[in-house]
Amino acid sequence: MALVPVLALIAGQFLPAYPLRILDMILLYAILGLGLNIIVGYAGLLDLGYVAFYAIGAYSWALLASGQFDIHLPFALVLLIGASLAGLAGILLGIPVLRLRGDYLAIVTLGFGEIIRVLMNNLDGVTNGPQGIARIDEAHLFGWTLSTPHDFLYLLVALLVVVFLFVWRIQESALGTALSAVREDQDAARGCGIDTTRVKLVAFAFSAFVGGGCGVVFASMQRFVSPESFTFWESLIIVLVIVIGGLGNPFGALLGATLLILIPELLRAYADYRLLLYGMALVIIILARPRGIISRAFGPSWLMRRLGGGKC
Amino acid sequence: MLTFDHVTKQFGALKAIDDVSFAVKPGIITAVIGPNGAGKSTLVNMAAGSYGVSSGRILVDGVELQRLPKHRIAHAGLARTYQNIRLFDGMSVVKNLEVALVPPQVGRLVADTFGFTPRTVAEERRARCHAVLERLGLAAHAERQAGSLAYGQQKLVELARAIVAAPRVLLLDEPAAGLNHGETELLKQHILDLRAPDLAMVLIEHDMKLIMSISDTIVVMNRGQVLAQGTAADIRANIEVQEAYLGQPGAIKDIEAAARGRRNRVRIREGEGLTWHQP
Repeated sequence: MALVPVLALIAGQFLPAYPLRILDMILLYAILGLGLNIIVGYAGLLDLGYVAFYAIGAYSWALLASGQFDIHLPFALVLLIGASLAGLAGILLGIPVLRLRGDYLAIVTLGFGEIIRVLMNNLDGVTNGPQGIARIDEAHLFGWTLSTPHDFLYLLVALLVVVFLFVWRIQESALGTALSAVREDQDAARGCGIDTTRVKLVAFAFSAFVGGGCGVVFASMQRFVSPESFTFWESLIIVLVIVIGGLGNPFGALLGATLLILIPELLRAYADYRLLLYGMALVIIILARPRGIISRAFGPSWLMRRLGGGKC
Repeated sequence: MLTFDHVTKQFGALKAIDDVSFAVKPGIITAVIGPNGAGKSTLVNMAAGSYGVSSGRILVDGVELQRLPKHRIAHAGLARTYQNIRLFDGMSVVKNLEVALVPPQVGRLVADTFGFTPRTVAEERRARCHAVLERLGLAAHAERQAGSLAYGQQKLVELARAIVAAPRVLLLDEPAAGLNHGETELLKQHILDLRAPDLAMVLIEHDMKLIMSISDTIVVMNRGQVLAQGTAADIRANIEVQEAYLGQPGAIKDIEAAARGRRNRVRIREGEGLTWHQP
């Protein structure tokens, strides 16, 4: 599992463009899954509107690096801006809604995801509405042009490693302990001195930050954005990535993304039955492994202990 | 020191706590006894912030708890255990304890996440948890999942979680409920062992033998009011006096019946035709 980035880089050397694009998508969804895991997997809060943060990131790049307003900011800066805007949106959304629990939170976040999409659809003057924004700039990072799927592979692998280490760090830190306590028993956590609202807000912000960063990368890969890309279906896929892979486990997000992107590609030959078979595959996986394929306990810390590396 | 100052709690038409005032001194064990419905648990839940206070003040070393949100009450130095165990079942025993040591400021929490706090801080926290587990004889279970432990051990883990942050006030809500004789003896030793000059301990319990053997002072409650306060001997005498001379269908019978469990209790109460008394 820890070899994933290395394998991805090796595969990138000889894969043709099309499979390479799929590999890129797997990596992108793995990063999204890692980000969403902070909220859903660690804090146990079901967020069905994660795509909103992804969209905010994507539109950041689309608006700040295109002919739309003739603004052409560098990629690294927009990556930071997009992620931060999404993080800010996470906090603003979190303040009113994080008092809610369970189903109610899921419904409100779902609504938020739709609001952002509808907003992008109707702010014609800014976002071109349903037509979307085309002719987005090519991304340049420290003098290196990102245009082919092969270029993005390097970027995505680097981001995957960074985000992976980040979420692992969260899990192992006091914040992770606090989030787990919130997940297990919110009232008892408060009784132990955890300011549950603030802790959840921090988790929401971190999670949104990662989602926003992914959006920026997505927009620079596609060089075209439209509200179509940010439907509820996307939020659902990202939730499925972590539920299928294993909630609260970073490895789970990697495996989940691989399966969820790869299965529909492998089923392309069966055109008409594709969605049916896809659905069936997911049902079978979840029946066989209701807690996800890799359970929470077998995370990176477990692996480190097994490898004799001690506790990180 | 924990002080209840003219505390009242109203649930609709019912006055669950009616103008209760008493102080719990540090260094000793104060037991609160009384029949079911006397208001013992309500008192604990108000102090810990689970229930609001209708009127009056609850203070820990001069800080008014009733104005604070629940997590701030914990920071003010009040810790509790629950009548029905409330551990973080899916987490390891040592992680359960670490929850009580999570830094309260969000800034520090974030700094901690990014590794800006020195590694020794986290190690210190962990060492503190292990020391408490060692003290309560739970060291061997530190890495086990809390939910997988036996009932008696879970009760001890809850006690460990309550004391790990070195509280000034410790509220024990029926710690012996559901424990067998041996486990109760062990618990008794641990509670006596926890007695410290700067810790005020409140014990709510139905096991009269346990109460009489470890309490330094006893507060008797009935129908939301404090009936009497004194040493174990005082209370026994006091209640008997009340019963003998005032003919009140009395406290001691109620208390003993309560020890036999809630179901029995309800039946007795119905038999006696007692009703809630509304002052």
